[in-house]
Amino acid sequence: MSTTLTPQADAPPAPSPTGTVSANRGIYRRIGRRETHSPRSLLAIVLAVALILVLAWLGTEIVLALLGAPALLVAPVDMFTSAVNLLDAPTGIVAAAGIVVAVIGLVLVIAGVAPGRRARHLLMSERTVVVVDNEVIASALARHASLAGNVDPDNASVSVSHRTAEVHLTPTTGIPVDRDAVTSTVTEQLDSYGLTPSVRPRVRIATSGRIGA
Amino acid sequence: MNSTNRAANRLLILVVGLLLVVVGAAAATAALIPSVQDAWRNTAGAVRDQVFAWLQQTPLGDTGVSWIMPALLVIAVVAVILLIVFIVRQGRGHTGIAVTEPTSEHGTTVIESAVAEHALQDAIGSRPEFVASHVSTYRVKRTPVLKISVTCRRGVSPKDAAAIVEDAVRALDLLLGRPLPALVQISGGFRARVTSTTRLQ
Repeated sequence: MSTTLTPQADAPPAPSPTGTVSANRGIYRRIGRRETHSPRSLLAIVLAVALILVLAWLGTEIVLALLGAPALLVAPVDMFTSAVNLLDAPTGIVAAAGIVVAVIGLVLVIAGVAPGRRARHLLMSERTVVVVDNEVIASALARHASLAGNVDPDNASVSVSHRTAEVHLTPTTGIPVDRDAVTSTVTEQLDSYGLTPSVRPRVRIATSGRIGA
Repeated sequence: MNSTNRAANRLLILVVGLLLVVVGAAAATAALIPSVQDAWRNTAGAVRDQVFAWLQQTPLGDTGVSWIMPALLVIAVVAVILLIVFIVRQGRGHTGIAVTEPTSEHGTTVIESAVAEHALQDAIGSRPEFVASHVSTYRVKRTPVLKISVTCRRGVSPKDAAAIVEDAVRALDLLLGRPLPALVQISGGFRARVTSTTRLQ
């Protein structure tokens, strides 16, 4: 038997798709949230590796100190005393280093707390969870906008962000662009996708055209 | 989709960040603000003496060294092991089994996820709308979930792409006799950018 998946007209009715969705709503919600937000894995792994290196070095220094061998860089006791006597070091260097460390820490705190949205949207679907990269939405909108505005596809550029789709058209010199037609086409497309969160179009048409496009 | 513990990731980042903020801010304020500087200098000697006293009061047998040092060593080793486990735990969650069903009193039916993956790959892979496609299976909340990721040619409507994949998934539902939850990931990316634009409407 072939495993080719072609929907058959006379096939028995498929298991209810709405049943699938309601049964899996929890799973689908979890997947949707996880696919549209960053896991922060890279940053966490980098930090973990850095911590491992620091701890391994500290451990080595402790072992060397216990054996009475000369330290690799600094003996543990010297580390402690120089940290306590930090202010004997030049003030400028201590202050600058402290500020740099605090700023790095602040960036990490922000990265840990911020939602970390990915450039993706959820697309309305009955049977599955669909996540779409913003650039795919943008290239589809660009194609429709260039058709509706009667400009060359190379002169249509679209960028999609969390809430807005910015459509930029550069008309061919001598051929005016019908802004309303472009707007309605783009809006119609966006409505048909049913994106979450919803995206509003903003159409901009360059005031000066381009020759020969 | 994978089983990465995102809360743990964020917790680690947050803790390291707060630690750096506290240490850095303490050093900077002590260096820059005179009153803090004086307070630091006044307590520094006492803190140092106290710690050295502890080191002397906690001898390890008759070796002449404090047991605080070996204890710190053990803590460091445990922390390193925990961090290695933390790194290895990232990105797991693949599964090789799509359906497990006790079909009769005498046994169970197990469908490997390769069946679903190959069937979907066959159905989707040859479509002109897609530059590339890949199907894998993950466990989410102990349920196998199919992940179908496709890379679209430039200009393909995401709705059409989703409809194509969804038709294939529905056909798979018929083949298996039961629906599997599925994620469709539609992406652009480098390969989409360097291939030709779609000619379909």
